[in-house]
Amino acid sequence: MIAALAAFTALTTIPALGGVEIDLESIARNWSNGAQRVGMLLTPDWSILPRTWEPMYQTLSMAMVGTVISAALAIPLSLWAARPTNPNGLTRRAVRFSLNVVRAIPDLVYATILVAMVGVGTLPGVITLVLFDIGIVVKLVSESIDSADSSYMEAGRAAGGTQTQINKVTALPQSWPVMASQILYSLELNVRISAILGIVGAGGIGRLIDEVRGFYRYDALSAIIIEILVVVLIIEVISNGLRKRLR
Amino acid sequence: MPERTTHAEAEGTQPSASVAWPIELDAVTVRYPNGVVALRDVSLSIAAGEMVSVVGLSGSGKSTMIRTINGLVPATTGTVTVGPHVVSKLRGRALRELRGNVGMIFQGFNLADRASVYQNVLVGRFAHTPTWKSMLGMASSGDREIVLRALDSVGMLEKVWGRAGALSGGQKQRIAIARALSQQPEVMLADEPVASLDPPTAHSVMSDLARVNTERGLTVLVNLHLMDLARQYTTRMIGLRAGEVVYDGPASTATDADFEAIYGRPIQSRDRLGK
Ligand SMILES: Nc1ncnc2c1ncn2[C@@H]1O[C@H](COP(=O)(O)OP(=O)(O)O)[C@@H](O)[C@H]1O
Ligand SMILES: [Mg+2]
Repeated sequence: MIAALAAFTALTTIPALGGVEIDLESIARNWSNGAQRVGMLLTPDWSILPRTWEPMYQTLSMAMVGTVISAALAIPLSLWAARPTNPNGLTRRAVRFSLNVVRAIPDLVYATILVAMVGVGTLPGVITLVLFDIGIVVKLVSESIDSADSSYMEAGRAAGGTQTQINKVTALPQSWPVMASQILYSLELNVRISAILGIVGAGGIGRLIDEVRGFYRYDALSAIIIEILVVVLIIEVISNGLRKRLR
Repeated sequence: MPERTTHAEAEGTQPSASVAWPIELDAVTVRYPNGVVALRDVSLSIAAGEMVSVVGLSGSGKSTMIRTINGLVPATTGTVTVGPHVVSKLRGRALRELRGNVGMIFQGFNLADRASVYQNVLVGRFAHTPTWKSMLGMASSGDREIVLRALDSVGMLEKVWGRAGALSGGQKQRIAIARALSQQPEVMLADEPVASLDPPTAHSVMSDLARVNTERGLTVLVNLHLMDLARQYTTRMIGLRAGEVVYDGPASTATDADFEAIYGRPIQSRDRLGK
């Protein structure tokens, strides 16, 4: 398996075979340029920071709002997409199929299209995050419901319960730890994704990144990247802490 | 349909024996979609308030038979009558109402382990609660009262807010009994309720079931594969072998030869639980 992968990689990087062309000559030609930029990246210009607060706040808000909206939609959708919680094959397959389609489209494509549709700003960013989150949360949660023991369903049916009652009173608390954990994970991903969504006009810190990059201010860019790194790490630490308490 | 007023529920009056339902199977055959015939032309009638064991080896059709009574497994041919209802004629809401009148406990307890004991026992109120009320998480004070009383009757009241998964096997089966009791059923079905328990716990759970029969007067049907439990706790025994009734008579006086006929082989030590 690994050997096959290695062979495939080697083959596709041989220039004559097409695939990924690695043009060594042009790398060498541009190297002096690159060295200078790396130099700038290594000396961050912290004076940009005050200008980042506002867009960074916007990015975090987008991530948060996106997570909350997607969670509200993903919880019922996850139950409809799993066999034990939705024995009706027709609606289950319809939900799964729609979500496969939603998941197949990359987030930047959503953002680009939505910016064109609803205009520049945080709205297309939030919608992008919601679509992205629903795609992954519903997939992971419904698969976990599918593989978990669901013998308690039979007890609910034997007691004369409707599927909705069984889902609400037992399946929901039963799968809540997995749901909460995936929702927190989607919050982490949202912070990362929303940081770059601004590059295509979907609001947040990405817009500033695009701007300083346009002016070749790689030292300011480096300060922003470090700031994003710190924010992402903080969110991850908080989310990991919360997730541990779900066990 | 027996009348049950909220007042009587709140007072916790013991349901009298007259609320129990008889069960009748008439020429019932069950053929599963894969072609396996699990029950063959089974006819029997169980009077209201009887304590009956169904004994047979694994695969003899015990689980299938018990599930035809609440319609979890439909009879392919023949009729199953429970109280005033012909099970095969019921669909949807009417079937759920019948199931609400028939409590059931299982070998594997079938609890939602991560949900609380309270939520698990509330399942017993489903058939008496409109779906929209369950959706909003609105249990009536009457329902709450019934749940707590059911837990109290099996000695599990202090566990009500704990997680079901944190309990021992015997405790889980008591929660499952409480879940069935909170349905305020007319019939209690038990599918190998003690097969996953150690001998002392098995005996105490069997005693709980016997009390359900003697104190509440319910019709109780319990699947067992152990002969001594059938003899000790039930009054009538039905022997199943390869989907057919091969014995139907008193349980306590059933001879070893009767059991050998049911099992279709000499008695082994694992056919008895012991103390
Ligand atoms: N859902 C099912 N689909 C197909 N065959 C089944 C199903 N459930 C049980 N059976 C078969 O029916 C027969 C009786 O099974 P069961 O009623 O579970 O017996 P017991 O409870 O006495 O072990 C067995 O041969 C079993 O393999
Ligand atoms: Mg069985």
